[in-house]
Amino acid sequence: MAAKGLLRAEEVYHDPTRRVRELRAKGKKVIGYPCVYVPLELLAALDIVPYRICGEMREPVTEADRVLPASFCPIMRSCLDCSLKGRHDFLDGTITVHASDPQEKTARIWQSYTRLPYFHFIDMPGTTRTEALEYFASQLDGMVTTLETFSGKKLSADRLNKAIEAYNQQRLLVQSLFELTKPSPPLVSGTEIVKVIKAVMSLPVDEGNQLLNEVLEEVKARKEKPQAKRARLLLWGSTTDDAAVMSILESNANVVFAEDCAGYRPYRGKVIVATDEVMALAIHYLLEITCARTFVQSTATPTKKDYQQDLQGRYGYLKSIISDWKIDGVILLLVRYCDPFAFEVPAVKDYFASLGIPATYIEYDYTEGSLAPMRTRVEAFLETIG
Amino acid sequence: MAEASPLHHLYFAGIDIGSTMTKAVIIDAAGAVIAAIKGPTGAEHRHLANEVMAKALESAGLKLEEIFRIVATGYGRFNVPFADEHITELSCHARGVYHVFPGARTVVDIGGQDAKCLKVREGRLVDFAMNDKCAAGTGRFLELTAQSLGVGLEGLAALSQKATKPVEISNMCTIFAQQEVVMRLSQGERIEDIIAGLHRALAERVAALARRLGVEPEVVLTGGVAKNAGMVQAMRAALGCDLLVPPEPLLTGALGAALLAKEHTERLLAQGKPLEVKARRLEKATFYTGG
Amino acid sequence: MTTGEKKRVINRVKAMYPLRAKVDESYMRSLEAIKAGKPTVWAMLNFCYGDPVLKAMDIEVVYPENYGAALAAAGVAREYLDRADAEGFPTHLCGYSRANFGYAARLMELGGQPPPEAPMGGMPKPLFLLSSVAVCDARYKWFQALGRYLDVPVWTLEAPLPGIREFQLKDCYEEMVRLSTRHLRDFIAFVEKAVGRKMDWDKLDEIANLMMEINRVSHEINELRKAKPCPMHSRDFWSAMPPALFLLGDLKESLQLYKNLYDEVAERVKNGTSAIPEEKYRLVFAELPPWHSLDLFDRLAERGWNFVIESFGYHPPPPVDLSHVSDPIERIARYSLQRMVSNYKDALEKNVVAGVDVYIYLKYVSEWKCDGAFLHPLVSCRSASTHLPHLANILMERLKVPSLIVEGDIVDLRLFNPQDALLRAEPFEEAMEHYRKVRREAGFDW
Repeated sequence: MAAKGLLRAEEVYHDPTRRVRELRAKGKKVIGYPCVYVPLELLAALDIVPYRICGEMREPVTEADRVLPASFCPIMRSCLDCSLKGRHDFLDGTITVHASDPQEKTARIWQSYTRLPYFHFIDMPGTTRTEALEYFASQLDGMVTTLETFSGKKLSADRLNKAIEAYNQQRLLVQSLFELTKPSPPLVSGTEIVKVIKAVMSLPVDEGNQLLNEVLEEVKARKEKPQAKRARLLLWGSTTDDAAVMSILESNANVVFAEDCAGYRPYRGKVIVATDEVMALAIHYLLEITCARTFVQSTATPTKKDYQQDLQGRYGYLKSIISDWKIDGVILLLVRYCDPFAFEVPAVKDYFASLGIPATYIEYDYTEGSLAPMRTRVEAFLETIG
Repeated sequence: MAEASPLHHLYFAGIDIGSTMTKAVIIDAAGAVIAAIKGPTGAEHRHLANEVMAKALESAGLKLEEIFRIVATGYGRFNVPFADEHITELSCHARGVYHVFPGARTVVDIGGQDAKCLKVREGRLVDFAMNDKCAAGTGRFLELTAQSLGVGLEGLAALSQKATKPVEISNMCTIFAQQEVVMRLSQGERIEDIIAGLHRALAERVAALARRLGVEPEVVLTGGVAKNAGMVQAMRAALGCDLLVPPEPLLTGALGAALLAKEHTERLLAQGKPLEVKARRLEKATFYTGG
Repeated sequence: MTTGEKKRVINRVKAMYPLRAKVDESYMRSLEAIKAGKPTVWAMLNFCYGDPVLKAMDIEVVYPENYGAALAAAGVAREYLDRADAEGFPTHLCGYSRANFGYAARLMELGGQPPPEAPMGGMPKPLFLLSSVAVCDARYKWFQALGRYLDVPVWTLEAPLPGIREFQLKDCYEEMVRLSTRHLRDFIAFVEKAVGRKMDWDKLDEIANLMMEINRVSHEINELRKAKPCPMHSRDFWSAMPPALFLLGDLKESLQLYKNLYDEVAERVKNGTSAIPEEKYRLVFAELPPWHSLDLFDRLAERGWNFVIESFGYHPPPPVDLSHVSDPIERIARYSLQRMVSNYKDALEKNVVAGVDVYIYLKYVSEWKCDGAFLHPLVSCRSASTHLPHLANILMERLKVPSLIVEGDIVDLRLFNPQDALLRAEPFEEAMEHYRKVRREAGFDW
């Protein structure tokens, strides 16, 4: 009766709130989050359904203009705009993180202009030092406290471990999905992956895992595979959750790896519990997610820094992606005003250049009108790499 | 040469659908231009790529079947149903400019809707930088501000030559610059000096884009504004180097497209592939902007 | 663009001048020290957190943020901005950072020698970079990106900033203190390694206390400005703030100068002396002033506009008794946190959850009795701009105080048009008059 696999992903991608609305009608609590730094395990363990709030590129921003300036992260602006327009009326609350200033500022304004029953803001340190990690863990403890009050439930170690297991399973499944883009032609297209991941982020963890299993099975077995195109590209950026953007990038190329927050990035590694579950989550989220917002540096000695070594320390993980996925070129794709990532552009370009991989920076303003020029840039880039 | 080539009886066309003008060039197997036509794109004309092509054919005295391969370029390139291939205007400009100036290494193209700088090696595009985010820094900036002055685009060059002290235009946002122009007029600034100021403001903006790539001689300026001597002068000053301007700066894209069509065919031939002419009709372009 | 006339109208507080002169003085002294081989650090505004450590370790400090403003004022920013553009930094990034990238690229091109065109002798190659998470995440990304040019490490100072409600949770504040204390201790160890000397703890203790005392006096001066008419204009605040904000020069001397300033302002309050000829309107200014067009304030003073309070980011933390904290590191950590956390409780009581940087202006407007807010959003500085639309809304909604919004930029000086502001002055006065009535009818006392 119900659609399965890619068809189901397509369905959820186009109507992402439907399932959580149904669940809410059945009495479940639903909490929205705009950023992958929120440890979803803590929500799931308290029987709360997390829902990733995404921007809507096709929706002209009208309401957010009252409260935010125009030169501001267009994704957060769009998220807030949709909220102010009542698009998130199915949510019981939101959780935001100090992952970047635009999110921090938006969080506070969000709380000021919308009246959801639950709201929590997680402060995040800028570095990965031990004391920073412990502070981050204490912030997560704070979130547990407010979530327990809100849900009227007590967090049990047993349920938390089960939730960690379920999300680790999800990470593994997404990693397996990206394994299928290693062959040429890839078994699954970048555009399909965007839809699948957005669907997964809009569903409870077990349903997301089921969907991923179905998709894996389906794409391995299907006869009609994506075609091999001019080049195999790596996408590096903040968040690309819109299939129209991905299909522009894929018009003459295969995007076989998406190093961004609606691609591989949130699903890298796994949470390893040694003793304390919350500390394990803090370690995983602060250290494993490769968002530009976290300050990391590699120095030769405590007082001497070498640029090449620093690049290696910051971007070294990209090297094996380049070779394992046989990448021909890199698209650095950012929305305008994404400061943390924009500061990285010359350095990450230097790193790719040191590997002999051409890279091009494309900035867009998160409107449909920016798609046609984006296509010209991608094609011109493909023409330069032959 | 042409006689010796197995392609000698073949012709190639390039059609460049820009935001304001549609251009078509037909070349023969030796690469000589035998027709070059420009027509407006505009809202009401944008479907009429076929008419521009028909005019080019008429001018060349050729039939459509005699064109072996057609490459479409420009922002409307996806929408030319009778084209065999579409290639970005960046690569086509690079190729077209190389044909005119074989020593070209940097191309600055200021179009109606965007400005781009190309790094070129032997006619091949190797890197580029583009501004397409707002009208500031494009030909549209001049068009709109000229409007506020009641001057046509054609009048700009002559007037700017009479400038004695170009005024400082502080606002690069087109809308604000228009207001500023009106304000400057009311302050009694001479129209010539305002125009020279506008040229300088635009040139500096585009020069910053070019420096992102590194400006290496020879530098070639193309696009509609290259026909404006005042703008060429301002661009020379902003880049601090000499500039070459092709005799037909609007046509280098279409020319490059035609040359790329020819080279593609030569490659097929070299690979021993059969040359088949595609059956096609001159249909109207179907436009959509979503890509 | 200037406003044309040059007449000075604001009655400057005389005791401000020696404080203002300290900027150049300490800069020149710093240059000499650097020439004599003293280690230099590039730092950014860190709100009484890392600065006392550098001071105690006798390290010269230069601030690229301030230098960015100097580059803009000297008219050489353009060249460095273009260079940053050519290096591939997106043009929407912070103007100060882009000017600094261009500068750093030039510096290294010249083998680490300051470029000849650089104003004030330039900034020398640093021993290390001290950045801070406070206020703006573009700042620490900026110093990280300098690694492309400078082969020196960056220390990024942590600056916790929990939500206003979340701060009330058990242990939140103590966790902030724990983070800040441990972090500062590690930072000191790092500095000791970098300069090859040990910390003089007695000196640090003394500097911490002087820093707090200087800021206490500076805070008291601003309290005096609640008087009607206001005795000290925002321009005097901006001119006098650097020694407190950046711990410039000899701290005992600074303390005396701030005390002198306090005395003169107190004297003015006693005599009913105003900072401008006739105070008709009292205004608050947010955030960064248009450094290159400050004579705008003279033109507005002619119209009776007195700027009585301003720029939260430059204001001292309110005084707090930390005499029971014996460890100077913990005292510094708690004091630095005080800047934000001292406002959390009040902000929550007033139900302003949008952050201290919004709440504080409600406090300023109601306690300094302002008739209007002059808001100055900056195109390439999002941190100083993002909260302003909401601030304008909430000032009107809660206090019936209107805002005048005039856009500018931190380095592209062409963007700020003082004539624009002047053209809008008259209609804004009508608005201020109107809302004065509205406030009285609503029972406000100003």
